Amino acid sequence: MLPSSSRIRNVFEPLENSEVAELWNSRFGIPTHAFDGFRFYRKSNSIWVISDSLIPKLSYETLGMRMMNLKDRPWKPTTCALQIFGRNATKNLIHLDEAQAKIFLTGGSQPIESVSEMGYVVVFYRGEVLGCGLYSHGKLISQLPKERRMEASMQGEDI
Amino acid sequence: MLDHLNEEGIGYRIFEWYPLGLALDVERPGKLLSNLQGYMHIQEEVSMVPPLILDPQPGEQILDLCASPGSKTTQISQMMENRGLVIANEPSLSRIAPLRSNCERLGVLNVAITRYDGRLFPRGAFHRILVDAPCSSEGRARRGQSVLLRCSLKRSLDLQTLQIGLLKNAVRLVEPGGVVVYSTCTYAPEENELVVAEVLDEAHLESASIPGLKGCPGITQWQGRELNEDLAKCTRYYPHINDTGGFFVAKLIKD
Repeated sequence: MLPSSSRIRNVFEPLENSEVAELWNSRFGIPTHAFDGFRFYRKSNSIWVISDSLIPKLSYETLGMRMMNLKDRPWKPTTCALQIFGRNATKNLIHLDEAQAKIFLTGGSQPIESVSEMGYVVVFYRGEVLGCGLYSHGKLISQLPKERRMEASMQGEDI
Repeated sequence: MLDHLNEEGIGYRIFEWYPLGLALDVERPGKLLSNLQGYMHIQEEVSMVPPLILDPQPGEQILDLCASPGSKTTQISQMMENRGLVIANEPSLSRIAPLRSNCERLGVLNVAITRYDGRLFPRGAFHRILVDAPCSSEGRARRGQSVLLRCSLKRSLDLQTLQIGLLKNAVRLVEPGGVVVYSTCTYAPEENELVVAEVLDEAHLESASIPGLKGCPGITQWQGRELNEDLAKCTRYYPHINDTGGFFVAKLIKD
């Protein structure tokens, strides 16, 4: 790989809103208009979302929030993006009770009965999005980033 | 979020001078679910002042020249209702990760991070710029006396060179009539009034006081030397007056 081409791969390339909206609509049933008012960019294997505004020509480390990772199949949504867009999900979502939420929040796996398809799901507790889970063979595996987890020792505490 | 705190039985007091500021009655607030889920951010009370003086509006273009770890960046973003653009600049690579992590946890969608030397940030016509400058941090002494061991006149003067460079570039980058807020968490006049004095030929001062929070005027005399009397419009916040950390804030309007 020539240095110049690797540099090109490392820039934020603008995407059409519809490209992103259709992926999220297809997996989570989120209405495509939920993605109006934002701009989307691809950098390497990640897609980023930022509020629609004039973006000056500068060298950026980040543009808004990283919302999905395309490295593996299927693509993976980030917990922070699910907290923004996931509340509009109409499929592939799982509601937890308090005991289940505690396991999820400490990063654990647990058997859950759900009609969700295999793959990434939006995890809710008390009507709010907790983050991203992986649903596979009747098990929900927490995908919460480590710095967003409760400590296992806090499992007995109220949440 | 207040519902969550009430449900969890956590006591809190709302600041008289800022309705979104809460003093929590809890040992480890960072471990609260409300914090992990991004409904709140833990920070020193008086460090919420500079964004209030900056007064960013939804839709504007704002530059936060010394951004990490992003307490003020994210407060600015919230004041703008997640609209417009905040460029959060942070030259240190190791300090980008906490800045980014705080923005993502708090659901911030209008912040882009850059990594320029703030003195050389290349271009822009920003409505408002915050220069929350690196400083000797004397105002943090109540959280650990060790910070004072590193303080000296030489250190303050070294920092002053950097601070003047940052503030001069901010005044260059803001549009005419735009606002530059300069703040530090230190008391040394060398890092505060003497820095602000360096740009008073290109910008003028406005009051940096907050209703409901007691501040003291900036000093206009130091070591026998008379300073520009407008420097009294700067505000010094002291621990013994408000039971907070210490802070210095100046609000400049570009001529």
